[in-house]
Amino acid sequence: MSSVPLSSQAVSRPRASAPLRFAPWVVLAALAAIPLVAPAFGLDYYIEFVRRVLIVTIAAASLNVILGYGGMVALGHAGFIGVGAYTVVALVDAGFDQVWLAWPLAMLAAAGFAAIIGAISLRTRGVYFIMITLAFAQMLYYVAVSLSTYGGDDGYGIYSPLSLGWFEGWHPHMLYWIVLALAAAAFALVGRLAGSRFGKALQGIRDNETRMAAMGYPVFAIKLAAFVGAAAVAGLAGAMLAVNNAFVSPSLMHWTESATLLVMVVLGGLGRRWGAPLGVAVWMTLAEVLKLHTAYWHWPMGVALLLVVFFAPRGLAALADRRREAA
Amino acid sequence: MSTSASLPDGADAPLRFLADPLTHKPLFAAQGLVKRFGGLLATDHVDITVLPGEVHALIGPNGAGKSTLVNLISGLLPADDGQLVLDGVDLTRMAPHQRVRHGLSRCFQVTSIFRGDTVRENLLLAAQAHAGSSFGCLGVRSQEPALRETALALAEKVGLADTLDHIAGTLPHGAQRKLDVALALAARPKLLLLDEPMAGMGPEDSLRMVELIDRLRADTAILLIEHDMDAVFQLADRISVLVYGRVLTCGNAAHIQGHPEVQAVYLGTEAT
Repeated sequence: MSSVPLSSQAVSRPRASAPLRFAPWVVLAALAAIPLVAPAFGLDYYIEFVRRVLIVTIAAASLNVILGYGGMVALGHAGFIGVGAYTVVALVDAGFDQVWLAWPLAMLAAAGFAAIIGAISLRTRGVYFIMITLAFAQMLYYVAVSLSTYGGDDGYGIYSPLSLGWFEGWHPHMLYWIVLALAAAAFALVGRLAGSRFGKALQGIRDNETRMAAMGYPVFAIKLAAFVGAAAVAGLAGAMLAVNNAFVSPSLMHWTESATLLVMVVLGGLGRRWGAPLGVAVWMTLAEVLKLHTAYWHWPMGVALLLVVFFAPRGLAALADRRREAA
Repeated sequence: MSTSASLPDGADAPLRFLADPLTHKPLFAAQGLVKRFGGLLATDHVDITVLPGEVHALIGPNGAGKSTLVNLISGLLPADDGQLVLDGVDLTRMAPHQRVRHGLSRCFQVTSIFRGDTVRENLLLAAQAHAGSSFGCLGVRSQEPALRETALALAEKVGLADTLDHIAGTLPHGAQRKLDVALALAARPKLLLLDEPMAGMGPEDSLRMVELIDRLRADTAILLIEHDMDAVFQLADRISVLVYGRVLTCGNAAHIQGHPEVQAVYLGTEAT
C-alpha cells in the first residue's frame, strides 16, 4: 500500500480560538443587557423584536437538529409551532393562565403529534419525506382554520397576559429574560448534542443510513426520537410566541412559515450550533430593515440570499471556519 | 424448523477447520430463500449453511444473484420466502439492525464508510453501536475511554492503527476496504458476510486482505462472496456456486475445480 498523502492528515475542526470560545457568553451578556439599556435610548420596541428573534431561534435550533444533524428535510416544522401555540390558546380559553403549565403541555402536545406524524413520514426518504411532512403540516393548518371556537381564520387574541408564576412582577421585562434563558439553553443543548452519542448516531444516519443499520443502529427509532424531540422544542417556541404576541392565528403554521424557517437554518449554517441564531437574527433583521424602506422587501431579500449562496454556501456560521483555515 | 439441515452434496469432503466436527451442526442456515423482482426469480430456493469456524465462499458469474443473497441474509432486502437461523435464533423476521445484534454482521461491495470523518470517528461510531444506548444527549462521546479502546483494538486488528487520525475518504482504496471490514467487526459477529472484499484491489492489497480474512477466521465464521478465484481457493473450506439464483453445487476446492458444470458456467469464462 502506498504511503498516505500528507493532505489526508486530520483536519478535524480546529478548536475555537480564545475570542470565539467566549463568544457565546459575550453575546448572552449583551442580550441580557438589552432590556436595561434600550429604554435609555428610546428603543423599547426592539426589546419585543429581540424577544421574537430569540423565540424563533429556539424553533430554528430544533429544526437544525433534525435537518442539519439528521439530514431530514422536514417542511412542516411550523405545524408543531402551531400545535404549541394552540395548546396555549386552548388552555387560556379553558381558564388556565399559568405559563409553567401551558409551556410544558404545549411541548407534550407537539411531541404527541410528532410521534404519529413521524412514525408515518419517517418511512419515506428524500422528496417524499419533504412532501409528506408538508402535507401533515397543511392538515394541521386547515384544522386550525376550522377551529371556530378559537377564532378560525381570524385567530385568537389572548387579552389578559399569562402569569409567569413565581417570576411574575419582578420586572416589566421578565418575560424577555425567561425567553433568553430558554434560548440559551437550546443553544447549549444543540452544541452539546453534536458530540454526544445520540448526535453522533444521528449524523451517522445522515451520512450513511444503510451502513448505520448494518452496524446495528436502530435507525428508525433514532430518527423518530430526534423528530419528536425537535417537535417538542418547536412546540415550546410556538407556546412562547403565543404569549409573546398575545395572539395566535393559523398563519403561524402556514407552510411558508416552515419554508422560511428552513431558509433561515440553511442561511445560518446546517448542523452548526451558531446556525440557528445567526440565520434567524440576520433574516429577521434584514426583513425588518427592508420593510422600513419598501413594501417590496422580498426582492432585496432574494438578492441577499443569492449573495449568501455564492459566498457562504455552507452558511454564515461556516464563514468563521474559513477565516481560521486561511489564517 | 431444525437447524441440523443436511449438508449439500460434496460437503462430506474433509474440512480444513471445524469447531464442531462431531455434530456438523451448522452455525448458520438459510433454507429455501426466495426473492422475486417482478417476473425475475433472483434467488431461487437457496439453501446455504455455514459451519462454526468455517469460511464458506459463494461464487458465481455476474448476475447470479450473489449480492441479492447477501442483502436477503443481512435483511436489507425482505425475502419473499425462506428461513434464516443463526446459532439457534430465527432471524427471518428481524430488521437488519436486530440481526446485527444477534451476531450477523456484513461488509459492502461498494465501500460503505463515513468518508468525511476520521478513521477513529468511524470506529468509535461502530463501537458505540454495541456498547450501551445511543440515546444519550449530553455526554461527550469522544471522551469515553472504553469506546476509544475498542476503536483502537479494531484499528489494530485490520492494520489501520497508524491512520487513526486520517480522514477516511482520503485513504487509499485498500485501507478503505479494511475500514469497511473493521466497521463490521465491531459487532463481534458470529457470522461475517464479506461482499467482494477484494473488489477493485490490486494484487498487493488483495494479498493483505487474504491475510486479514485468514486471521479473522479465528474469531468468526465467514460467508465470503468473491470474484478472485485464487483468494477463494486459498481461503474457503467450502464453496457454493450460484448460477441464475440457484445453488449449483457446494463442496471443497477440489470438488468445485473438478465439477464439469462449474467449469462450463463459471471457471471457463473467467479463465480467459
